[in-house]
This record gives sequence, structure tokens and C-alpha cells, in this order.
Amino acid sequence: MTTSAGFDRCLIASGFRVFWIATLVCWVTGCNTGSQFPARPVTLICPWSAGGGTDRLARQVAVLLEAELGVPVNVVNATGGGGVTGHTRGALARPDGYTLTIGTVELNMLHHRGLSAVGPTDFEPLGLLNQDSAAIFVRSDSTWTSPADLEQSIAATQRPLKASGTAAGGIWHVAMIGWLARQELPTDKVTWISINGAAPSLQELMAGGIDLVSCSVPEAKALLEAGEIRCLGVMSPQRLPASPEILTFAEQGIDWSLGSWRGLLYPHGVPPDRLKTMQAAVRTVSRSDEFARFMQQSGFHMSLAEPHAFTAFLDTTDRRFGKTLSTPVFAEAGKAVVGAWFFPSLLGGLALLVITLGFQSLGEADSGGTVRNGPIIGVVAGVLAFVGLSPVVGYVIATGMLLGGLMLAFQASWRTAAVVTLAAPLLLFQIFSRFLGVPLPWGWLGW
Amino acid sequence: MNEEFFQALTEVFGRWDVWLIVIASAVYGIFVGAIPGLTATMAVALFVPIAYWMDPVAALAAIVTMVACAIFSGDLPTVLLRIPGTPASAAYADDAYAFSKRGESERVLGLALLCSAFGGIVGAVVMMLVGQQLARVASWFSVTEYFWLYLIGLTCAILVAHGPKSKALLSLLLGLFLSTIGLSAAHMEPRFTFGIPSLYQGISFIPAMIGLFGLSEVLLILSQGDARSLSSSDQSLPPQRRWAATIASAFHEFGDRFRHHKAGTARSSFLGILVGMLPGAGADIASWVSFAASRRAASSEDSMETETLHSIGDATTANNAALAGSWIPALVFGIPGDSITAIVIGVLMMKNVTPGPQIFNEQSSLVFSIYLIFLMANLVLIPVGFLAIRLSGKILSIPKAILFPLIIVFCITGSFALNGSSFDVITMLVMGLIGLLLTRRGFPLGPVVLGIILGGPLEERFVQSLTASEGSPMGLVSRPLSIALALVLVGLVVAIWQSSQRERQRNSEAGRPSAR
Repeated sequence: MTTSAGFDRCLIASGFRVFWIATLVCWVTGCNTGSQFPARPVTLICPWSAGGGTDRLARQVAVLLEAELGVPVNVVNATGGGGVTGHTRGALARPDGYTLTIGTVELNMLHHRGLSAVGPTDFEPLGLLNQDSAAIFVRSDSTWTSPADLEQSIAATQRPLKASGTAAGGIWHVAMIGWLARQELPTDKVTWISINGAAPSLQELMAGGIDLVSCSVPEAKALLEAGEIRCLGVMSPQRLPASPEILTFAEQGIDWSLGSWRGLLYPHGVPPDRLKTMQAAVRTVSRSDEFARFMQQSGFHMSLAEPHAFTAFLDTTDRRFGKTLSTPVFAEAGKAVVGAWFFPSLLGGLALLVITLGFQSLGEADSGGTVRNGPIIGVVAGVLAFVGLSPVVGYVIATGMLLGGLMLAFQASWRTAAVVTLAAPLLLFQIFSRFLGVPLPWGWLGW
Repeated sequence: MNEEFFQALTEVFGRWDVWLIVIASAVYGIFVGAIPGLTATMAVALFVPIAYWMDPVAALAAIVTMVACAIFSGDLPTVLLRIPGTPASAAYADDAYAFSKRGESERVLGLALLCSAFGGIVGAVVMMLVGQQLARVASWFSVTEYFWLYLIGLTCAILVAHGPKSKALLSLLLGLFLSTIGLSAAHMEPRFTFGIPSLYQGISFIPAMIGLFGLSEVLLILSQGDARSLSSSDQSLPPQRRWAATIASAFHEFGDRFRHHKAGTARSSFLGILVGMLPGAGADIASWVSFAASRRAASSEDSMETETLHSIGDATTANNAALAGSWIPALVFGIPGDSITAIVIGVLMMKNVTPGPQIFNEQSSLVFSIYLIFLMANLVLIPVGFLAIRLSGKILSIPKAILFPLIIVFCITGSFALNGSSFDVITMLVMGLIGLLLTRRGFPLGPVVLGIILGGPLEERFVQSLTASEGSPMGLVSRPLSIALALVLVGLVVAIWQSSQRERQRNSEAGRPSAR
């Protein structure tokens, strides 16, 4: 109890100082809701997880855009569903110009497979940044040295070969199936193991679990240079400037090319003046020396296109994928050995078994004494109110309301409650939004 | 070779700007790791754009330091508030929090800090001596071996749980079930989504973890205590001690442990490196497996308390040793051991350094620098960590009527910050209520978290193994390494069965129902 009183006094003494500092900090950096665009932080949605190639590109673009626009640009990883989550969120974002999406080739694929309602037509293209072509890799101790060797083995084999590079139905899978179909080879002679990502697929190739990997050259560069794996050819029209020693499929007599792309997109309906500002910023950034240097050093193949050309590119690519993905060959290739409901049913069965066997020891509840439900309902209502209100009134006000309400409900002294309610949300906002660059909901006041 | 080593030595220790960067990143890492919801991966990802303007040694020094510090500081909210700051701390959340309730938070944290630093240093030394040879071992693991490894990890969660094993198993099954919600990675088919688009991405485990441990604990106390107890601070406040006393007792504790618990220390460092080195396993599993191994090996002559302290020490040693381990395949093959090393490879390539066996020959001074950076980071961790322990101890002196609303706000902000989605806040809230219900009924929470984390990968590896063997279950035991791992699993299951039988017997002899 004595500590409590001491704490109160100390808090109130320092509280007003904290409050003034926080107000000052906020005044300097927050809440300028002027009419020029952009006036507050911009969010860049990345449909893939932190650490991957798309994320790295997104974060670099964010830094350059930040310098160009003069406001923070925060990257948000909206991952899941093989790109469905991020692209959907980007397309449905409020078209006020403050939300960008770094789109990837999956935008052209997911809607053809009925996995996503969102396609390229739901976006306003800003600029294409990068294209990487698919390539075929095998272990360096294998006997295959060219795509033709591999084609021969595939045609002759009884037991299907095993391949991977991404999840079933992903871009590198489509690239491989497309190649086999173009060469009129039986596509059921290669089993695609659905492994999420190029790095774990290459690990699997090294461990001897699969025979070949289809992915882009930068993704396999380290193992390639280490001499652990061999590249049989790249599916691009020209040789890659970064790896000119690799032969293209075209040079080896196979008329097939396919690759992934990454580009910046706006949702539909952004006011024209804001659209123009952002298009100009993206143009300046993508043509800067820093960007070129970053792309070259990271091993990404730079491929730029203005909004017009990007729109046309998206259109052609989309039609091409529509054709490839609708072939019966492809519908067959994505089937898994065990169904989607196998694992959940197994879990359910096990749970039933445990409950029947261990019924005796499970029955005992252990919490004695009186249980009050009032505070629980209060907290739940408070959190729900926060979720509902924060997009409207903004993080600082919503947090202040929640904090103040809970503290009064818990019978804290009202003076302490007032100081904490005023100071803590501002401080938290500064820490998360300014210092760590994590986006928080904004509302009326811009924070 | 000696020349390059000395060059690396001056590059790392002889530059004042590197020292400055390391200390700044240590503070930053401690800060980010201590906030539930912000992970070590996030700390590094936020740093990438800045790394672009630094030279390789400085950039790597910053990354290594912030990660080592973030993994340690994940223990701070774990011990003080039972909210795991990073998933690697979830294994011992309940056990460590018990010390805090008795007013011994500084004791656990001091030991955890020194064990973390020790694990990190051992990891660095092993990486330095046999890194290239160990990388070969990592390359033997195919999807089938990972399937068994994940099962072993899950079994360990049951092994370390308190109370009847059947309850722990049910908790685990609940976690695994929660992991199946969303778009299935192996089938690209929505499950249990009820047409709600937000459910497609599934239950993110970080908001789930914050809810299960953090919010549920707040709710539990609120529902039990009367309103008056809230206006005071915790009775079990750690005694006010001087700086020197905190540090001295931590070193004393560590020295004690080092003398009497040699086998455990060696085992946990080794397990940490080995598990961390396997791509896709990482510090989380390392911490769980080594905690379980420590529980199994506990000698009967120690008191319950010392035993728990040893186990926590082992787990913290292992999760920091795992960090060094995860760099082994990244440096040797360019295959990332976890999401952090994935970013590191990106940063290296940005600096025109391609990881692979040739950097050991062509850029050996850089490789030596990396080893030295690991040593430096773990040494810097010790003073910065003590500072953090002292400062964070102040949290407990805040009256609950103020502390609890602040914790709730932190839980909300941390959950939102991860993906910037309100849906994650709802996830956190629902998990908080589930956690409350489970705790009241005596179900352990650790297995739920591990189930959510490993459920997806486990199912994926299972489907992949079966696809590779064309549907034959024999494919799961067709390679020598997978047979060996399967045998380890069988051994674990038998051990759990025996111990639960023994417990039941003891309880019936004592003539009381088998409560906790």
C-alpha cells in the first residue's frame, strides 16, 4: 500500500512533465492534416512474409519513396493463402492514396484457379519493377546436363521424377508444366511436391528427396556458385545479364519462356491528382541510381514499365496464364495424395480417443472460490469497442478511452488515471508509429 | 589465415563506429524483443533499409547483436507478466512466471541473461570450429526427417507440461486444430473459414500467444480477486537491492549451475546448435526440446526449485545457441535456417557477397568477422541485459489498477502491429478467453502455442512425404535418418506413457484424486 501511494505521488509529479513533452512531440510530428498530398504515413502492403525477396524489394522501395514523398512509408506483411490475403487487402483498401500494394505474379494466377476474387483489373498499376525468369536446376552429381537429357529421362521413365520449387500451382510449377506441355511430354511423369518456397526446395534437392527444382536464378545463386547444383537452362527470351553463362531454353531449341514479376499497384478509385503524384514518385524512384544499384546487388533482374505499358503487360500476362492454367493437364497436376480434411479428422479422432480413455483425470476442474465475471465482460467489451472505434477516431483517442475507462473501472485514483490516459497513448503512438515505423489505425486527427 | 584473422580482429574490435552501432542495436533489440508482438525477425526487417548504407561488417554486427538481445529480452515480459515476448520463450513461460510470483524475478532473469550469453558464445565457437562440417549434416534432412523432427518437438511440449498428460495432449490437439483454420498450404483449400475472408490467412500465432498467456492471466486475476486488491501493487515485490547485489547473485547462480550442471549445459548448447542449424526448425523448437531433455535428465537429489531453474537455464542457453546454428547453412549453402538468416542472406547479397563455400576461401576475413561479431554481441548483451532487468523490475511496483489496463493496451497494440490488422486483435481476445477457460480447467497452455506454430509445417511435411512416396506410408520410414528419428519419437512416447502411469499410481496410493 505504501508503494502505491508513493507511486501515485511520483507519477503525478513527473506526469505533467511527461504530458507536456508528449504534447510537444506530437505537435511537431503528428496531426498535420493539411490539404497537400501526402500528409500522413503511407502504407505499402507486401503479400509475402518478412525476409523473402518481395519483402526486401518492398522495404527498399519504401525507403526511397519516403525520401521522395517526405512522409514515412510503412511496409505491412499481409501474408497467407499463397498471396490471396495481401492482394485482396490491397484491392479493397480505402482508395485515398495512402495504401499501395507490391503486387506479384500470383495476381495473374490466383483468380484463374478460383482461389481469389481479386484480379489485375481490380488495381490501378503504378509501375513494374522487376521480372525474374524460371530456370531448371538439378544436383551437380546427376547425369542430366541439358533440358533435352531431362526430357529423354521423363519420356522413358517408369517411376515419375520428383520436382518442386514452390507450392503446387505456384509460378515455378506452372513454368515447368508449361515447358513439358510445350514439348508434348507426359506431365504425369513428374510428381510436383508442394514445398513452400525456393530455399526449402533447394534444401530438399540437396537432401536427395527430389530430382529437380524449378525456380529463379537469384534464388539458387549461392548453391549454384558453390557447385552443389547445376542449371540446365533459363526460360527467358535472352540470357540473363547477371548470369550470362546460363543458356536459355530458346538457345537449346525449346520455344518456352515464363517468369515472375513484381510491381506497385493502387486500388481503383484514387483521386486523379493523388494518382498522378504517386505515379511520378514511383517513376523517379525506379529510375534512380540507388534503385538500380540495389537491384543489381541483390540479384534481381530490373524490368521497368510505366503505368500504361504495365497495364498492357498485366493484360497479356493474364490471358497467357488463363490459357495455361485452364489446360486439363494442369487441373490434374495439383491434386494431393491425402485430402484437405484428412488431418483435421485425424485430430478429431485422436481427441475423442483421449477423452474416452482419460475421462477420469479430465473431469476435475481445479479453480475453487468465487469467480467474478463482471471484469471479464468489461475487458471484452472494451477491446471490442477499441476494434470498432479505432478506424474512425484513431489510435490515440481509442487507446485513451480504453485506458481511462478500464482504470476508472478498476478504481484507480482519478488523478493518476487522468495523467496516464493523457500521456500513455501519445507515448505509445510515438514509439510504435514514429520510432518503429509500425502502422497504427488513424482517424480524425491523423493519428 | 592468421593475417586475415587479425584483419578481422581490427575490423570488429578496433573500430569505434562498430562499437557504437553494436551498443545502439543492443538497446534497440532489447526494446523490440521485450514488447510482446514485436519479434526478432521484425527488428531485423525494420533495420534492412538502414543496412543498405553501412559496410558489411557494421551491418552484420548490428543484425547479430539485435537478434541476440531480442531473444534474451523476450524473457523479460515472460518472467514478469507471463507474456512471452518471442515464441522462443513460450516453453518456460509458466515455470518462470512462478518465480516472479514469489518475488524472485531478478533471480530467473539474471540466470537467463548469463545462460543466453553463454549459449550464444558456445554457438559462435562451435560455428567457428566445425561450421562447415556441420552444414553437411543439415543437408541430409529431407521433408520426411522434418516430419519426424516436428513430431518430436510436439511430444516435448507434452513432456514438459505440468499435470495429467491426457490434458496436455488435448491442449496440443486444440493447438493443432487451430492451425488448420484458413487456406491449407498443402491443398490450397479453405478450411473452417465460414466464408470470412480474414480467416483465410489463418490464426497468426503471435496474437494467439499474447492472448493465451498475457490477456488470459490478466482476466484470471481480475475474475478471482476483489476490487480492492487492485489498488495495491504486487505483494511479492522483489526486495530492493543494489546493482552490485543483482549482478553478483546472477554470477553466483550461474557459477553454481556451471559447476553442478555441466552435462545439462553441454547438452543444451549442443541441442541448440543442432536444431537451430536445421532450416525450418529454429530457436523455438530448440528451446522446447532442450527444456524437455532437461526435465527428463533432472537428478532426484536436487530440489524442485533448483531443477526448474536448471531447466529454464538450459532452454535459454539453447535458444541463443540456436541463433549461431542457424547461420551455418546460411553461410555455407545460402539456405536460410530461419526468417532472420533469410534477411541476412539478402543483406549479404546487397553487399555483393554471395554466401556459399567459396566465401570461406575468398572472403575469409569477413567470415572471421562474423564469428567475432557473435562473441562481441553476446558480451555486450551482459551489461545491457542487466540494465534492462533493473529497469523492467520497476513494472512490478505499478499498482494493478494501472498496470492491467496498460498490459491490455500493450496486448492490443502488439497484436495489431504485427500485420496491421484489427482481425489479429480479435484473435488475441478470443485466445485470451480460451486461455482463461483452459487455465481454470487445469489444461496447460504451452502445448496449444506449439501446436499452432508447428501444425501447418507438420501437415505440409506429411503431405509432401506421402506425395513423394506416391501415397505409401512406408515412405515415412524409408531412409536411415528418418528411421532413427522415428525411434527417438517412439522412445519419447514410451517415456511419457510410463511417467503418466507412475503418476497415476502415486496419486491412487496417496488416496487423492490426481489434481495438478
